[in-house]
Amino acid sequence: MNRRFFDAAVTATLVAMGVLFAAPLIVTLTNSFMPGNDIVAHYTTQFSVFDVIDGIKEKFISIPVIPSRITLSQYKDVLVSQPVFLMLLFNSLKITLPVVLGNLMVSILAAYGFSLWKWKHKEKVFMIYVIIMLMPLQAVLVPNYIVADQMGITGSYLAIILPGIFSPFGTFLMRQNMKSMPKEYLEAARVDGASPLYIFLHIVLPQMKSGIAALTMLVFIEYWNIVEQVIIFIKEYYKQPLSVFLSYLPSENVGLVFAASTIYMILPIWFLTLGQKDLEKGIEMSGMK
Amino acid sequence: MNRLFTNAGKRKIDPGLLFLLPGFAGVLLFYLWPFLVSLWYAFTDNPIKGNFVGLANFIELLHNKPYLLGLKNTLMFIGMSVPLGMILSLAVAMLIHRTGRRKELFALVFLIPLVIPSGSMVFFWKALFLNDGYVNGVLVSLGLEGINWFETPMAMYVILLIFIWKNLGYNMVLFLAGLHNIPKEYYEAAAVDGSSGVLTFFHVTLPGLVPMLVLTAIMSVINSFKVFKEIYLITGSYPHESIYMLQHFMNNMFFSLNYQKLTTATCILVLLITVLVQTLFRFERRHDQ
Repeated sequence: MNRRFFDAAVTATLVAMGVLFAAPLIVTLTNSFMPGNDIVAHYTTQFSVFDVIDGIKEKFISIPVIPSRITLSQYKDVLVSQPVFLMLLFNSLKITLPVVLGNLMVSILAAYGFSLWKWKHKEKVFMIYVIIMLMPLQAVLVPNYIVADQMGITGSYLAIILPGIFSPFGTFLMRQNMKSMPKEYLEAARVDGASPLYIFLHIVLPQMKSGIAALTMLVFIEYWNIVEQVIIFIKEYYKQPLSVFLSYLPSENVGLVFAASTIYMILPIWFLTLGQKDLEKGIEMSGMK
Repeated sequence: MNRLFTNAGKRKIDPGLLFLLPGFAGVLLFYLWPFLVSLWYAFTDNPIKGNFVGLANFIELLHNKPYLLGLKNTLMFIGMSVPLGMILSLAVAMLIHRTGRRKELFALVFLIPLVIPSGSMVFFWKALFLNDGYVNGVLVSLGLEGINWFETPMAMYVILLIFIWKNLGYNMVLFLAGLHNIPKEYYEAAAVDGSSGVLTFFHVTLPGLVPMLVLTAIMSVINSFKVFKEIYLITGSYPHESIYMLQHFMNNMFFSLNYQKLTTATCILVLLITVLVQTLFRFERRHDQ
């Protein structure tokens, strides 16, 4: 009896916390269906003559969870009437997609290379990857800038994309993934005389679907949300990706912020629902030594 | 092509190296070489035709007020966010661990903040914590005074809240894996010995989690630097002094392209992180014995 009470308490606590944690998401979602005027009414606190008459001295932002009127006007504004948003969304894609694809290819190849390589000091080389991977972004930005400067690409997306493609984290994760693969397949194939390329394409690759999914998600999420590199490298505002630009939006156009925010977060959340298990495995694997 | 990979004959290229080459070349070009260059800049007085100046740059930086402020705030933030984040995420992980059936669903809720891009939530946080924001509205209606969240030292706590909201899921995944790996027999033995819940926690759970604790500590420190994204998107380049972080300093140095300060700051950061990681690893090794 005590047991059941305890379990119920655990569940109740989790539900309460879950609601708390999901609140920002829920509010953004529901408020995206609010008509623009209501948004202005709730989220800006300009005093009007009526407020003075009513004797209201302080006004605060109210956050309604359920809009009193439901409309798609925000989405219409964002997608149709003001195509600037779409262009910026496209900017985000222009940065994120090349990094995801490039990093995936480079990392899988490099990880396989590490497994094949027969040199007694190869783990020391791998340590270099680990050390770089553990550095916070701030420590890597200056070297990135130096290279970008030398290559003359400081104003372009390449300054963000290229270091992203070669980021050691991907190689690390893929190598961890490969380490956990059963070796019997590889041995059997090698005995049969298969070339490393064949083994790679037909045996290793198919076994790594989960790791590939995890890496894709992790890299996508990171680059869909880049901020630091954009501030330093991308100066023109029309070239900025949404990750930074979205924060400038409210000052011009409060009325469509929620819809814009929602659209921007659809992709990452959709990926999460598709591959939650893979993502979790990816996070765990980045911890194994 | 296959002849390259046969074991007969002496002069052959290790196939592993071929797979590794593109990735490693990239790491060399975009991470290792520029880091060495930045080391060089840190010890000279002019990036173009400098003279070796030994530790002069470091000494000068350590007397630079904005740098010291950024460093102090960053360290303070790490000191608060890492323990707090670990405790909370461990608590959540333990709660979820107990539910069994709906584990994935609960885990999903806490993972969502991780994937939502910071830009999508900026408006919501502002709506909560601005001077005329929702939170102050609630406080006033309770008869208390509104707090100036973003322009007083309270800003640090707001940022802490936002950061923990976003990153709890990450540590939670790691702890869930760690909890999963503690053999049930240990718990059964403790129960047979008549151990209470609290004692079991300290004598079975915690010791079993030590590798995971070290790992989450390291990852938390590294992830804590990402809080800059939220701070910048909400408060801009020059926030209140209590949340002026290392990255703010470096950004402003980027604008004036002060290579000396930038590279010196980077070197110090790399040093600090390396020392931290080494310390934590040594702690874990000692525990294993």
